[in-house]
Amino acid sequence: MADQFYQKVLMDHFKNPRNKVKIENYNFESGLDNPACGDIISMTGIIEDGVVKKIGFEGSGCVVSLASASMLTEKCLGMSIDSVLALTKDDVVAMLGMELGPNRLQCALLSLEALHKGILAYRK
Amino acid sequence: MDIKKIREKFPIFKGGDGGKRLVYLDSAATSQRADMVIDSVHDFYSRGNASVHRGVYELSERATGLYEQARHKVAKFINAADPSEIVFTSGTTESINFVADAWAREHFKEGDEIVVTQAEHHANLLPWQRVAQRTGAKLRFIEVDQETFFLKDPPKDLINKNTKLVSLIHISNVLGNVWEEGLLESVIKRAHEVGARVLLDCAQSIAHKKIDVQALGVDFLACSAHKMCGPTGVGALYIKKDLHDAVEPYQVGGSMVHDAEYETANWQPAPMKFEAGTPAIAQVIGFGAAVDFFNEHVDFVELHNHEAKLCAQLVDGLNSIGGITILGNQCDMKMCGHLAAFVVDGIHAHDVSAMLGMRGVGVRAGHHCVQPLAKLIGVEASTRASLYMYNESEDIEVLVRELRDLIKTFKEA
Repeated sequence: MADQFYQKVLMDHFKNPRNKVKIENYNFESGLDNPACGDIISMTGIIEDGVVKKIGFEGSGCVVSLASASMLTEKCLGMSIDSVLALTKDDVVAMLGMELGPNRLQCALLSLEALHKGILAYRK
Repeated sequence: MDIKKIREKFPIFKGGDGGKRLVYLDSAATSQRADMVIDSVHDFYSRGNASVHRGVYELSERATGLYEQARHKVAKFINAADPSEIVFTSGTTESINFVADAWAREHFKEGDEIVVTQAEHHANLLPWQRVAQRTGAKLRFIEVDQETFFLKDPPKDLINKNTKLVSLIHISNVLGNVWEEGLLESVIKRAHEVGARVLLDCAQSIAHKKIDVQALGVDFLACSAHKMCGPTGVGALYIKKDLHDAVEPYQVGGSMVHDAEYETANWQPAPMKFEAGTPAIAQVIGFGAAVDFFNEHVDFVELHNHEAKLCAQLVDGLNSIGGITILGNQCDMKMCGHLAAFVVDGIHAHDVSAMLGMRGVGVRAGHHCVQPLAKLIGVEASTRASLYMYNESEDIEVLVRELRDLIKTFKEA
């Protein structure tokens, strides 16, 4: 029992985060913080032919924000940027596999918001 | 004060969640509501609802009577010399913004100084930042001693002839008591000696301490009803009578006008001058009922002893777990505290409080609206357990047991 609250997969991503690196020679980046709790997530990556070829994140925060970032980088690797931009709150909730109240949702969505911000800036 | 009987006066503890005990340890954010308060609001809406001050039919006269009675009750509760010194606002935040906008920004200029402490809640810091930015006045700080977590006795020149306002937190929502014996009184005295005015932020203290504005000698006082078993959306601003002319209306509009022309208008005397628009009538009446509740059922000395006893149990319990850092002066907390903010090594405060929440324990996580203080003491986010009159030893036992267990399972996961 990994505290009932957090599913095993979530704890695994928290303890063994995937893609927790700064990508060298990145061509998109962005960072966001959650003023409610001080969580910080930054994303870097490489987009080629409209597809996410490399992606990494760095940051500090709670299980939900860090596991969400880790899972998101796995999910988005190889996706078209249009598909990434089409990801919504519901996709993140489904990915995490847990119900979240409005306060905690902010932690979960921090990485997606950072990623969207970085890709939109790249597009410009 | 019989705690069992007090607890029965709060309907929320009567169960509903499958009879499971509600372990509510977040009263520093908002207290629970007493039955008298809920009933008064319900009664007003179901039997007495009408607007105040203008209607001359019976229902409106009665509503006006109840509304003005509430003002008398609040005035007496904090020992104001006159009910006209009580202005109803939406709460502490609005009360402080009121003073900042309607008084400070009207009178302050470059070279003036505003003194606050490093332990202020954002509500008593940001309004003064804005006044400073817009008037050219300067903000100065009474420092927090990072070892004792008490405020330091400020250097002699901190409060000087340029000081126009000293605006102080009474009890911190993170550290608890921050004033060493006699220091608050000494700072207020020094402020008055140089002709400065004093505002006391009683958001936290109003619920735990007998407040006497005349004995404290403050010029402004801000508080909220919802911290003391009253409704949300209402609070009070005490403005000492000799400032009633110097303070401008915070808002202008209905109810507060004496005579209006197309180009100009003038105001009614205080407190009407300070309450534009239809007020939060039911909430104000509920605020009055909260004061009645205190007068009838709460003895501040017994409340203090009850909370301190629980707070000592809380501090000892947290220390017994290991790997927990408590923010604040532990010795003081055990003698007179009612809350403890703490950091668990290796587990983010959000995780701690979310996991406690799943185990039926309500605590608060975050920076608690004191970001500069959090940065000063080097803490990103903390978890806070806060106590009130209806908490019992069992609440602390549950918290400590669940916390110990979740730390273990989290580390093993």
